[in-house]
Amino acid sequence: MKMKGTTPVNSTPNDPRPSVLIHDPTLRDGHHAVGHRLDAGQLRAYATAANAARVPVVEVGHGNGLGASSLQIGRALLDDATMLTTVREALTSSKMGVFMAPGWGTSEDLTAAVDLGADVVRIAAHCTEADVTERHLGTARALGAEAQGVLLMSHMASPERLAEQCALMAKYGAQAVGIMDSAGHYLPGDVIERVQAIASAVDVPVIFHGHNNLGLAVANSLAAVEAGASVIDATARGFGAGAGNTQLEALVAVLDRRGFDTGIGLREVLSAADAAADHLMKAPPSIDSIAVAGGLAGVFSGFKCPVLEAARAEGVDAIDLFLALGERQIVAGQEDLIGDVARQLKAGSR
Amino acid sequence: MAAEERRRVAVLGAGLIGIDLAGKITRSSKLELALVAGRRRDSLGLRRAAEMGLPTTAGGVRAVVEAGAFDVVFDATNADSHAEHWAALRPTGTTLIDLTPTGLGTVTVPGLEGHRSAAHRHLNLVSCGGQASIPVLHAIAQRCTPTYIEVVSTGASASAGPATRLNLDQYIATTSAAIRTFTGAREVKVMVNISPARPAPPFRVAMTVLADNFRPAPVRTSIAAAAEAVRAYVPGFKVASLAVDPGRIQVAVEVTPSGRHLPHHAGSVDIINAAAVLLAEQSAAASR
Ligand SMILES: NC(=O)c1ccc[n+]([C@@H]2O[C@H](COP(=O)([O-])OP(=O)(O)OC[C@H]3O[C@@H](n4cnc5c(N)ncnc54)[C@H](OP(=O)(O)O)[C@@H]3O)[C@@H](O)[C@H]2O)c1
Repeated sequence: MKMKGTTPVNSTPNDPRPSVLIHDPTLRDGHHAVGHRLDAGQLRAYATAANAARVPVVEVGHGNGLGASSLQIGRALLDDATMLTTVREALTSSKMGVFMAPGWGTSEDLTAAVDLGADVVRIAAHCTEADVTERHLGTARALGAEAQGVLLMSHMASPERLAEQCALMAKYGAQAVGIMDSAGHYLPGDVIERVQAIASAVDVPVIFHGHNNLGLAVANSLAAVEAGASVIDATARGFGAGAGNTQLEALVAVLDRRGFDTGIGLREVLSAADAAADHLMKAPPSIDSIAVAGGLAGVFSGFKCPVLEAARAEGVDAIDLFLALGERQIVAGQEDLIGDVARQLKAGSR
Repeated sequence: MAAEERRRVAVLGAGLIGIDLAGKITRSSKLELALVAGRRRDSLGLRRAAEMGLPTTAGGVRAVVEAGAFDVVFDATNADSHAEHWAALRPTGTTLIDLTPTGLGTVTVPGLEGHRSAAHRHLNLVSCGGQASIPVLHAIAQRCTPTYIEVVSTGASASAGPATRLNLDQYIATTSAAIRTFTGAREVKVMVNISPARPAPPFRVAMTVLADNFRPAPVRTSIAAAAEAVRAYVPGFKVASLAVDPGRIQVAVEVTPSGRHLPHHAGSVDIINAAAVLLAEQSAAASR
């Protein structure tokens, strides 16, 4: 088992077990499940609970990150600055993370976020577009933040391509790099192949971010760790886009059984997850039919709410619409096409 | 038209934009392409230009200045280099048409500022998303008072060169500012997607305008007229979808290059280069 790069903040010096750093985007990815409408009380309640559980990084923001609040993707209830200030105040030991995709956010947004206390900055690009991260990874490093690079919709590219793209981001200054299974499409074997390819191409920790459309998010995350990933994203109750993310409390338990150290106590993380259940969601995410279809078709999990809306408005079947979007390989940010494709389906002119 | 009546022009930057621009210029009866300037002798762009039989140099802006008086120079490099290029070229008396998203020169969209801008010697073409959206948004703004405008462009991966990718922040800032200038809207949000999909999608720009108290029919008529006007110099420009609802106008346009010179997904390259050539021709006409 090859462990790479930096030691997670919470690793216990006398715990001989290999460590995994848990990165928790409950308050960012979870926004996709509630139309980006979390209020300050909700952010504070969960950030406080996650901090108490010693979750190393608590990520916050609009579902698509800094600068993404818009009619196209969904308007957040709170602006970026209010979200960051609220969460910052609640964190005493956990680091605060933010996410930004060039084209949605800008260097100005990044600078403002770091000023407000963001410690970890994730710069994202679609799977084959890593060179758009060059400027912003540089900005993040210059601001003194911990800079990471992630590839979205990674199932659309081959393991070799992903490895080459991750190596680019490492060259631009990313201190950890990796992949997001934005559509919840992977099986464990897919993850192992990709993480191994990336781990052998870079000298920085490898990140994996799963989604649960096919019921495999925890299994895929474990596979990622065993293949050499050391930063894993997970959210309380799996709160996140579509069928949800890798479930934090289950992952902590699984990693513990498997002999990995996350620095997170089980009782504390269970309390944090209960706090999330009480404060953030009406019901935890579930693998409904749409989620399975989306996962299979490889469509961005965050499209669930807009797809249901467009399907209802045009009177077409939501699963048909998901599959049609999959055929077009539509990526996050292209929400404007959902209505058009729904109307084309309705007109029977696919 | 006799060769001596053509305006002598140079292209600075031999990337995706620069090479297509060079091709378009050679097909113009009013312009004569006397130099394509890059910065690396072995770059694909300079080799392509040489294959096209064009004079090339790897000496960058300095070589352009040394090559003597040009009527028009096009800057198709990188927004970070543009200020330096203007500083070097300004004393030569040339007109500089900037295709990078700096917004430093007079912000120009054909048909809107084209005539007045003939008087300016430093023109900026905003961005591909700006060239595709501003004619339509300007037309809408004649029929209502927009309170908020949002513009989301999606381009294919293969249509965005390295400089385009480095210039996304400037793209957003310059496009937003230009939309504000041409529509009077106070709040403008611009976003851009680069899509990895295969086959590559066409260049698409989706616009949403929020405004109170407008009549739908004239809005529709104005949008159709604006699209027709753009088609005069970009034949592959079309309104792909349109919804006019109370308080909200949503319109998406797509640009598919016509002819065999560009792949179908390179509409972003087609529209800004068509605008650049048209402006150079107009400035040629005006200065005669
Ligand atoms: N692609 C589009 O759809 C599009 C549309 C509208 C506007 N734009 C804008 O147009 C510009 C070019 O974009 P692109 O897609 O064509 O990028 P590109 O393929 O990277 O082209 C830029 C070219 O300029 C050269 N260059 C850069 N700095 C230079 C300098 N100081 N002196 C001489 N040459 C220099 C580069 O040379 P090297 O190879 O040595 O780097 C490269 O050949 C960008 O500012 C972009 O924002 C692009």
